[in-house]
Amino acid sequence: MTQESAARRFVVAAIALAAAAAALVGLTLLAGASPIDALHALAEGSVGSRAALGETLARATALVLTAIAASLAFRAGVLNIGLEGQFLAGAVAAAAVGPLLSGAPFVARAGLLVASALAGALWVLPAAYLEARRGVPEVLSTILLNLIAAAAVSGLVRGALQDPRGDYPQSRALPDAVRLAPLVSGSRATAAIVAAIALALLVTLVVEATPLGLKLRATGLAPAAARAIGLPGARLRLLAFSASGALAGLAGGLEVLAVTGRLYDPFSAGAGYTGIAAALLGGSHPLAAAASAMLFAALGAGSSAMQRDTGVPGALATIVPGVLVLTVLAARARLTQKRA
Amino acid sequence: MSGFFAIALLLAAPLLLAATGELLLERAGSIQIGLEGTMLIGAFTAFAAARSGAGPHAALLAAACAGLLAGAAFAAFAVAGRADPILVGTAWNLVAAGGTAFSYRLLAGATGSVLEVKALPPFAFGLPAAALAAFFVPAVLEVFLTRTRPGLALVAAGDNPLALEATGGSVVAVRTAASVAAGALGALGGALLVLTVSPTFVEGVTAGRGFLALALVVFARWKPLRLVPGALLVGGATALQYRLQAGGGTGIPYAVFLALPGLLALFALAAARGRGGAPKALGTPAP
Repeated sequence: MTQESAARRFVVAAIALAAAAAALVGLTLLAGASPIDALHALAEGSVGSRAALGETLARATALVLTAIAASLAFRAGVLNIGLEGQFLAGAVAAAAVGPLLSGAPFVARAGLLVASALAGALWVLPAAYLEARRGVPEVLSTILLNLIAAAAVSGLVRGALQDPRGDYPQSRALPDAVRLAPLVSGSRATAAIVAAIALALLVTLVVEATPLGLKLRATGLAPAAARAIGLPGARLRLLAFSASGALAGLAGGLEVLAVTGRLYDPFSAGAGYTGIAAALLGGSHPLAAAASAMLFAALGAGSSAMQRDTGVPGALATIVPGVLVLTVLAARARLTQKRA
Repeated sequence: MSGFFAIALLLAAPLLLAATGELLLERAGSIQIGLEGTMLIGAFTAFAAARSGAGPHAALLAAACAGLLAGAAFAAFAVAGRADPILVGTAWNLVAAGGTAFSYRLLAGATGSVLEVKALPPFAFGLPAAALAAFFVPAVLEVFLTRTRPGLALVAAGDNPLALEATGGSVVAVRTAASVAAGALGALGGALLVLTVSPTFVEGVTAGRGFLALALVVFARWKPLRLVPGALLVGGATALQYRLQAGGGTGIPYAVFLALPGLLALFALAAARGRGGAPKALGTPAP
């Protein structure tokens, strides 16, 4: 997670873009579609119209937040692979408290989002406890907490949180007055994306330009050295871990508030995992991670249109981020070795 | 044998194969967090082979071959390429989940109908031979690791890579070989799911079993034989979940049953006290 020189970043980005382009063209050909038509549909479906751009921005909210959540944790040396579970915990909290809230919409929304962020932070605690007290690597415990969260969502929408009207496995819908309305008509984008971008800027500021951020980064880069100069490593890690969980929980809450209006099963299309990919692509720099998340959101929105128009399966939007990250990891490792 | 135990064994077998492969790779010093993805690749390959006319045993073989390639690909990035294996594994899961979903859609079209394949025939106790054989694989690995020269080289690659290099061995070669074998075992685990438990493929059919297998390795403290009770426990919990799901009306929230295998694995991790018994060079790049 070290910082890279500008020149090296440029080389890595160029290699990654070439690999992504090759993957895109190769997969469309494999699906028997014309790459030109498919890429045209992809572009049209992601940024080609007000509705398409709105779809991209609506998808970007969760991804930007999970991407900065991952960056924050990674920079402090916490391998939080559990963003998916923390995202789901936030969505569960939103679905649980949302229909109960009354009063001014502003107050209800604030209550819902605070509950979501808290739920996300709480979902981190078992992993943080096991890591600090029993030496269980957080990679493994957070992965299991993802499984448990997904199982809980599946059970809750058929049990305690099920909408009494109808037999569908889904929770009660939020009141229309509470849900976020589109910013402009004919678009799905809401104020949620503005909030996500503002948080991305805030996290960038904190991580890159404050004494606290410096301490977090020092703990991540050289734990032993950080301890030697008196930094409270365990507390800093816990802070980064729970802040990361809170951001992912907030992403889940905003997803319910701005996009879906309720919880259902399966709820997440892998926002937590794609957020990690965005963070890795951005070298764990929060702003670069947020930009990568926007790119993946555009890819997701565009690939739905592409599947509809050209028959190329939309799962392409999951493959390409994975290929990008693998390429970036390999290229960075190779360049580091060369220098050494 | 009663139905419950047969189902518990059937559900433990894929876990056991995948976890044994992972244990082998981790003893060599690398780690594949993307085991879930490898299992998916095996499941899809077996399904695709069976759909294109292969018998269930040939489908199993096809999955093993896909797993060999998957293991070689992982090693190219995380062993020879020296990228962080944890991060490679995370991306690996995305590529495998997306890749199998993509391929499934190409194969099945947009119909959404369930495509069945022929299951493996029962051999004894109502279980297919491959599922029963899975219970002997950890013992084979135990003998390999403790009694054979290549096994000792593998353990050296995980505990003291520099010593292995000093005696003329190649850490990259040993870890690559381990990754290839682990890929085959993981893919076989995935294939076994499709060819026994649910004779069809759906997106994400492995349902987190690769992640449970990762936890089993820690629970077993990197000792192959200790995988068996762990796998039986998780398999039993899953079988119980199926049974109670069908029976219903137990008063315990449905969500708890769904989460039972994951909860059990989390408690097992806590009980194993983290990294006790872990290979000393686990996750570090080859010298």
